[in-house]
Amino acid sequence: MHVLNVDGIKKHFRSDMSLAKREVLRGVTFHAREGEVLGFLGPNGAGKTTTIKVILGLIRAHAGSVAIFDRPPGDRRSMARVGYLPEMPYFYPHLSLTEFLEFCGRMSGVGRSDLPGRIDRIAEMVDLTPHRSKRLKSFSKGMLQRAGLAQAILHDPDLLILDEPFSGLDPVGRKMVRDILVDLKKRGKTIFFSSHILSDMETLCDRVCIIRDGVIAKSVVLDDLLKMGEGTVEVAARGWRPEMMQGIREYVESVRTTGEDAFLVVREQRFVRPVIERLFGGGAEVLAVVNRHRTLENLFLREIGRPDARTAKEKKEEKLVFTGF
Amino acid sequence: MNKIASVALNTFRESIREKILVVALLFGVILMGSSVLLSPLAVGAKQKIIMDVGLAAISIIGVLTAVFLGSTLVHKEVDKKAIYLVLTRPISRSSFLAGKLAGIVLAIALVFAVMTAVMLGTIALGKGIVRPAVFASVYLSFLETTVVCSIVMLFSTFTTPMLTSFFALCIFAAGSLSGDLKVFASKFGGEGMQLVTGSLYYLLPNLKVFNLRHEAVHNLPFATGDILRATIYAAVYCAVVLFFACSIFKRREFK
Repeated sequence: MHVLNVDGIKKHFRSDMSLAKREVLRGVTFHAREGEVLGFLGPNGAGKTTTIKVILGLIRAHAGSVAIFDRPPGDRRSMARVGYLPEMPYFYPHLSLTEFLEFCGRMSGVGRSDLPGRIDRIAEMVDLTPHRSKRLKSFSKGMLQRAGLAQAILHDPDLLILDEPFSGLDPVGRKMVRDILVDLKKRGKTIFFSSHILSDMETLCDRVCIIRDGVIAKSVVLDDLLKMGEGTVEVAARGWRPEMMQGIREYVESVRTTGEDAFLVVREQRFVRPVIERLFGGGAEVLAVVNRHRTLENLFLREIGRPDARTAKEKKEEKLVFTGF
Repeated sequence: MNKIASVALNTFRESIREKILVVALLFGVILMGSSVLLSPLAVGAKQKIIMDVGLAAISIIGVLTAVFLGSTLVHKEVDKKAIYLVLTRPISRSSFLAGKLAGIVLAIALVFAVMTAVMLGTIALGKGIVRPAVFASVYLSFLETTVVCSIVMLFSTFTTPMLTSFFALCIFAAGSLSGDLKVFASKFGGEGMQLVTGSLYYLLPNLKVFNLRHEAVHNLPFATGDILRATIYAAVYCAVVLFFACSIFKRREFK
């Protein structure tokens, strides 16, 4: 069953001063299944937040359709089952954390008798119990982010939509949020979140959709991603010379050099031994042998049209001397 | 209804924690205190001066508080994106707006209560007599402020706080003179002028119906039926304005 169905949504904005149309979404299509953790990845300005706003009914799409629990955006019955954390959240600074959570709980339809117990549990979960009586205006950015997560999960929603949930968190806070999301995933909740922190996406997501220029460029199941490129091994060597390629050319996918060091990508595990023997035979020193699998970062950079994320200085120092394709 | 009450309570809390409310209260108290200082100038009419300045201060401070509080609260909520947390929950935009209006009106009721208490205390210190017309006058001023508040809500759904304040104050001024406007047009204007002023007369709130200050100060009789009619008029006018505000707010996009 699809909890969230986004079908070909298009959205454009016009600037206040001119009639020029700026297309932000150009036919975004994806879905989230029940119990799935779906990551939403894309560079700045790709349309992530706009997509989320259309899903939640804060803005209307010019074309296409959105369904949450088979109902249109903004429908009260479906919104009661949704928890949302906005990007860079602004909460009512005049309220204390308890007052804020009481307000959010009542707005989500949590019963008067249930509310105090839930607030106790959630405040404990996000480690804000000692700060419950403090006004939100005295909270740090990380504390506000945790308060934001607390209001999003307070009413035990079936679908969580989180816009950059790890933003502004220190490593401890990030781990806490990650653990909470893992726990929600175990309880069968559907989670749809955008983030720039790819390692967290790799840890949490079942599937990732990459958005670029207002369209979904790629949708990939994380397990499949990890299988992509499985078996390749990178060998780092010092004292490498181009003539060492003789006899091992068909085993090596590519070679990248930085000064006197070289990084050879070996096609398969079984070719590692002859490659290392050739390097030793040629007088090179083997520094490291590392198993490689395709990372989300590789995929992301390739999909957004930036296959090499190294700095200009690094690129200058490096020279690609051979590629197998 | 529960959700409207929650929005109203939150707005009320925000209002009473805003400095603007404290400033308005302080200003009102000072204004009423000044009436005590002015009273020696009118020999034998001390109580009338206190009542006159006091009731005028309550009315003006109430309207100004409604304009500035109402224009900033909705706009701030939209501008700072706190509204995302509300509108992504199972509540309609109309309920949100109704709650917001109720919260501001509640805060203004508090301002009225404090200012009235100060005025009554001042009258009591001067051993004056408080007649029912004083309470009726304060009540009508409160209704007038509620009508102005609904107009502020209407403008704040689509424009900036500055323009909202400007338009609301213009309508307040025109509404206070709407009766005179009709008389003026009937005496001096042509057919076109009469049509325009006639439309404005019915479109603008007739705020004169909320003015009982003269009767209260000079101890003149007043009809309780007028109070009832003014109450119904305020309720209907607020409901119509809120309906238009909701229609605009429902179409609004939150980029």
